Amino acid sequence: MNNQQQIKCDLLVIGRGFAGMVAAAKSSALGLKTVQAGSSSSFFLSSGLIDVLGVYPVNKARILQTPKAGLRKIRIDNSDHPYAKISDEKIFESLSFLDNLLNDAGLSYQTKDLKNSFILTAAGTFKPSFMVPKTFLNGCVKTLKGKHVLFVDFKGLKGYSARQLVNVAHKVCPKSSSLTIEIPTHSGDLTPMALANLFEDDLFLKMIAKNIQSKMDDADLVGFPATCGIHDSFQIVEQLEKLIGCPCFEIPGLPPSIPGLRLKNAFEKKISQHDVIVLNKAKIRFDSYKDRTFFMTAVNQNMTSSIQAKGVILATGRFQGDGLHASRGGIAETVFNLPIFQPEQRNQWCDLNFFNPDGHAINQVGIETNERFQPMDKNNNPLYEHLYAAGAILAHNDWVRLKSGSGVSCASAVTAVEHFHDAIKGGEHV
Amino acid sequence: MKQTIETQVLIIGGGATGTGIARDLSLRGLDVILIEKQDLNAGASGGNHGLLHSGARYVCSDPEAAVECNTEIDIIKKTAGHCVEETGGLFVAVPGDDEQYIADFPMMCEKSGIPFKSIDVKDALLMEPALSPETIAVYGVNDASINPFKLSIENMQDVTLRGGQYLSNCILESFEMDNNNIGRAKVKNQVTHEVFYIKARAYVNASGAWANHVASLAGVRINMVLSKGTLLVTSKRITQRVINRLRKATDGDILVPGGVVSILGTTSVRIDSPDNIYPTVDEVDLIVNEGEQMIPSLKTCRYVRAYSGVRPLVSIGGEDDRDVSRGFTLIDHVQEDVDNFITITGGKLSTYRLMAEKTSDIVCKKLSVDWKCQTREIPLPSTQSGEWSEPTVFINDLRHSAKHDPVLCECEIVPASAVDTIIAAIKKDGSHLDLNAISLRSRVGKGPCQGAFCSVRILSHLYNIKELTHGQGISDLKRFLNQRWKGEQPLLWGSAIVQSSVKEMIHCGLFGLELENDQVIAQILAGDKNE
Repeated sequence: MNNQQQIKCDLLVIGRGFAGMVAAAKSSALGLKTVQAGSSSSFFLSSGLIDVLGVYPVNKARILQTPKAGLRKIRIDNSDHPYAKISDEKIFESLSFLDNLLNDAGLSYQTKDLKNSFILTAAGTFKPSFMVPKTFLNGCVKTLKGKHVLFVDFKGLKGYSARQLVNVAHKVCPKSSSLTIEIPTHSGDLTPMALANLFEDDLFLKMIAKNIQSKMDDADLVGFPATCGIHDSFQIVEQLEKLIGCPCFEIPGLPPSIPGLRLKNAFEKKISQHDVIVLNKAKIRFDSYKDRTFFMTAVNQNMTSSIQAKGVILATGRFQGDGLHASRGGIAETVFNLPIFQPEQRNQWCDLNFFNPDGHAINQVGIETNERFQPMDKNNNPLYEHLYAAGAILAHNDWVRLKSGSGVSCASAVTAVEHFHDAIKGGEHV
Repeated sequence: MKQTIETQVLIIGGGATGTGIARDLSLRGLDVILIEKQDLNAGASGGNHGLLHSGARYVCSDPEAAVECNTEIDIIKKTAGHCVEETGGLFVAVPGDDEQYIADFPMMCEKSGIPFKSIDVKDALLMEPALSPETIAVYGVNDASINPFKLSIENMQDVTLRGGQYLSNCILESFEMDNNNIGRAKVKNQVTHEVFYIKARAYVNASGAWANHVASLAGVRINMVLSKGTLLVTSKRITQRVINRLRKATDGDILVPGGVVSILGTTSVRIDSPDNIYPTVDEVDLIVNEGEQMIPSLKTCRYVRAYSGVRPLVSIGGEDDRDVSRGFTLIDHVQEDVDNFITITGGKLSTYRLMAEKTSDIVCKKLSVDWKCQTREIPLPSTQSGEWSEPTVFINDLRHSAKHDPVLCECEIVPASAVDTIIAAIKKDGSHLDLNAISLRSRVGKGPCQGAFCSVRILSHLYNIKELTHGQGISDLKRFLNQRWKGEQPLLWGSAIVQSSVKEMIHCGLFGLELENDQVIAQILAGDKNE
């Protein structure tokens, strides 16, 4: 039999992905008694880049130099999009909250004058993003243009080829070259995690720096897979720069993602500094709603927690986060069984072209909310007074095509928490 | 002047029949070239159950085909045993199935000489626990499963070893007629866009569902009835034996084990063109709803892939598609005044060898040689390049990672050394090397991740071993993922949609492959200048 506990709180955040982490951090920063439940495993899929809006309109494949240019258009074209419910000012305010939070946790990000940066990926393509880990920064088009880059890969690190980068990124940096480093102690598969651990070792850095220096020719920069350490990547890249004698940078690639792990660690560090009660890997059940209170049960390996919360932020994500479940009959929300915006029939879910620039109809599914991010009933009234949704579970938000995942998560989470905070604190005054 | 290659026989179509004919003729000592507009088994030969029929399925509708199957299955087991798994088969009936059909079945089998035995339902449930507890009648037959990819790969390998040629991605553009003969064939390589001619003494149309198109280039017509069939692959093997529904052939009534998976099918949908076919959500639902009556777990199991094939049936008019003979159609076009042209179509995988033999007999007659067919006796050699298409090989065998041999496809455990073997075979048999060609010859991309990870790993590997240059790998990657997607999109419920979301996050979210890389760079650089 599990241990039992009873918890009363102001706000229960369901979800430990990007939106859930921002919501929990914001909630505790505002002094709300906060409980957070869920699994943080999705960070292994995060590239570490924090996008706001990179492409719009998607069917014209228009690459945005600034998110603002697209935000204006999105509000005109699609009043259902989460961004249409938040002002630019609020969006960028929420991002500074995030920026400060990560910086405090020792993870340095950089934003350039509200502009997008175009970051080299392991495929050799360039991706628009907004807040960029400092260790990625030299991998942007502006810096790489016309330069001789020495791309380094490691034997056994699968899905990452320096030679592929030389070939595919040829149009931007035509004079580049490649180097494969073999690590004698690792003869078979070399996982990103194992490699990142090696980067934490000074001797390893000296060893590869020496190897790289002998193959530099006249290279201007050195590009590494995004595995330059787990705990203090910025310092590790700085040290590599010192040892090699030129600017270095990291290139994001296939999961499991080390920059995603760094993000997760940073969030967890900040959240643990506040008084957030974290129920890791807990499965949440909604029991009842009475007297303006949510009665919920969270079950994880060693604990069954009965939670009474004045408000709930649902940040459970889409299919990957298990916030939505797809069956042959349709799509359902997994905690409250909320109404889901979705195509009428399953045969409308997907286009036959995986790469259709418009995206698939199923990418638009999710919860429809009002401008406070409260899920609504058929008559457009909030279903519960203080239930909010944030992040990928929001409908009309094809974040994969728009390159807007983290931005929508961050802005919707902060906005929802602020609304809740204003509502209950305002209530106290009366 | 464009190049003209000379040969004795040109075979059009790289399915089971075409490759079978190529081998049959090679064994007889003839010089052959086989052209295929895509790659091996791109049509019905790759879009079927992989079932070697005992014949019992056809005892009522097509006794002649039943007898052929019964004879051929023994020959194939004997000569191509390494492509076959002798699973045995069951015919099972559930409440509501036609009782007259059930009652007549033993007598009809006897009539066609198909071996069968009656099995007590209780025993059958012990033999195959997945069967419905409601099962009312069971008969055992000699069905077996066959890997059609391995079969065609091995047939073609044997041909090339004997001096024949295989030209993949080469499409027949036209025939140049010379009185009552085809003078030469104009062929275009669809990868290099190079156009050339092949001059042969005889031309064999083994293009399956495309038979009428190819025939029309020689000015003759074949009345094809094209029937699309869709099949589903489960993530785990559900039964040990082939399970047939004991009723008149219809939708969703056969489950065939293939290594570690099972294949459920099919449907029959009349279509106008054999090109660009794909499985649909409605077909998937139909198959699952029918299949679960026979095997209840088919309702809840995970499906990893769906695919479709086109049955190349030849009509004599009027009948239901399921009733059109599954026997084959062999036409010597001398009757339409094209003296050196033969069409072989219809039929089924189980009788591919017989079809090849009969066709080759006519070819020999036309070339006035009397070398006899040897495919009944000479076994099909087993080569390394066919090995990796087996769903059973090296599953959960991690010994490769120990010896400097990274596992590139982790779902199906395909190590880099296997990919290298396959690449060597592709280059040797003259095929175009890309991810789809590797996938055709291996289990790569066929596991639960549907190519999300292995595609990138193999691509990097191809760059590392210098098989790719410039940005060509990116379009290759997109082609491959889109090919996998066709079979994935009607099955997106439960955990499958989680996998496909992850795939989209990686390939669109991070790599931005839905955008044209060159255009992205152009836009970014133009934006820079505007500032």
